[in-house]
Formats: sequence, structure tokens, C-alpha cells
Amino acid sequence: MSRAVVPEWDLLITLTAPPFGSDVVTTVLRLLDATLRRGARVQVWACGYATSLTLRSLGEFKPADLANPRERHRSTAAVVTDLLGAHPDDFAWHVCRFCAEDRGALDHVDGVSTRSFSRFARRVESSATTVYIGGA
Amino acid sequence: MSHRALLLVIEHGYRGTVEVGFSDLLYVCRGLHRQLGGADIVLRGSAVTFAVRAASVPPVRIGTGFAGAKPDPRGSLRELLDDGVRAWVDERDLRHLGFGADQVIEGVVPADTAELAVRWPDYRGVWFL
Repeated sequence: MSRAVVPEWDLLITLTAPPFGSDVVTTVLRLLDATLRRGARVQVWACGYATSLTLRSLGEFKPADLANPRERHRSTAAVVTDLLGAHPDDFAWHVCRFCAEDRGALDHVDGVSTRSFSRFARRVESSATTVYIGGA
Repeated sequence: MSHRALLLVIEHGYRGTVEVGFSDLLYVCRGLHRQLGGADIVLRGSAVTFAVRAASVPPVRIGTGFAGAKPDPRGSLRELLDDGVRAWVDERDLRHLGFGADQVIEGVVPADTAELAVRWPDYRGVWFL
């Protein structure tokens, strides 16, 4: 009698849409936050220009608001870093190596891994549910 | 004859929260207005919502903190009006989205923005943002 295999991850979010054409990044971050709060194990696969979201060169803060320079706002790289720190065993952010190389976007914040697209199937197989947010 | 350099036309409204942050399109318009000799604005399509009075929305909270600033197009529009920018909003697109002219921010003029095309030659440039 075979035993049911329990997936390693509850959710895989595949994000291929570029970050500044629509509200997809907001959607992904809110979905990520809500599922992690519920105790789910979540991994993100970032493709295309979404690979830029975790670049180390983004620093901790976004560029200053010239109309309100005293207020500083965290970068997406800092938001992901915070989530990785808060959920070290339940959250992973992967970057597609091909897309990152194609865009000169290979240096990411600590904790973010770059992975070959040829192993993408393994990410899907290891997740109970895959949500694909396209638009690349 | 207009003394403004640019007519800025915006047709695409909400473009995200974390993505946009404080730099919504009308914030950009303020920079163009100040740097390039003055601008006027036309809001069409879903961008007519920028001119509709509405309650403030909270910033997006991710984890323990806020994920950047929230866009405030209505605040940006009011600042533009204070700077002397003239703004029109398309009446038909307002109606199509279920809004009336009485819900528009004071100072913004509801109009048939297609007819505004007759004024295009008055500007050095008509830019579609």
C-alpha cells in the first residue's frame, strides 16, 4: 500500500509579470503575507523583470520623495528580506537564473536563491498548489 | 492661446500600490509642470477616478511594516490645482464608471475631452502618460 506524499510546500507563487506595469507585485506581497500569517509554507519563483525586486543594489529604502524627503520607504528587497527573517523555515524566494542573467540582475539580497529554469518542475512538484501570475 | 507648454493626458488609472508608492503619475506631472514651463492635465478612461472624491485608503502592511508609501493621486491632483494647473476630466468616462460630475474634486472641470483636441495646437506638446 502506497503512502501519500505530503508536499514540502503549501503554495508556489510564480510571478512573471513585470513590476511596474500593473499591481501584480502588490497582489503577490499581500497573498504572501496573508498565507504566511495563516501558517502556510510558501515559495515564490520570480521570472522576467520580477527578478529585479530583490536586487541588492535596491538597498534598504526607495529613493527619497522630493516633496517629503524626511519620510523613507522600504524597498521591495527590504520587504522580502524582512519576510525571510520572520519566516526562515516557511518562506523561500527563488529567482530564475536565466531571466536574471538576461537582465544583468544576478546580485540579490541574502537568503534569495537563483535557480535554473530547468529545475522549475521540481518547484511545482514540491508544492500542493501553484498560482501563476503572468503578464511577462 | 495657452501659455502652458504641455497638455498631459492620462488614461490609465490605478497602477499598483507598492509599485507606484508616492510617485503616482500626478506626482510626476508636478515635476513636468515645474520643469517644462507649465502643464495642463486631461483625465480619461480609468484615470477619471483620480478626480473623484473618495475616502483615504490605508497603506499596505506586509509582515511587521508598511510596504512603501501609498499612492495618493487625489492629494497630488489637489497640489497640482494649487500650483495653478488646469485639469479636465472626461464626463462620458465618469458616467461609464458610475460617477457623477457632482463627485468630482473642486477645481477639476468635467468636459467632453475629445473636443479638447481643438486646443492641442495651443501647446508645444501633448503627451500621453
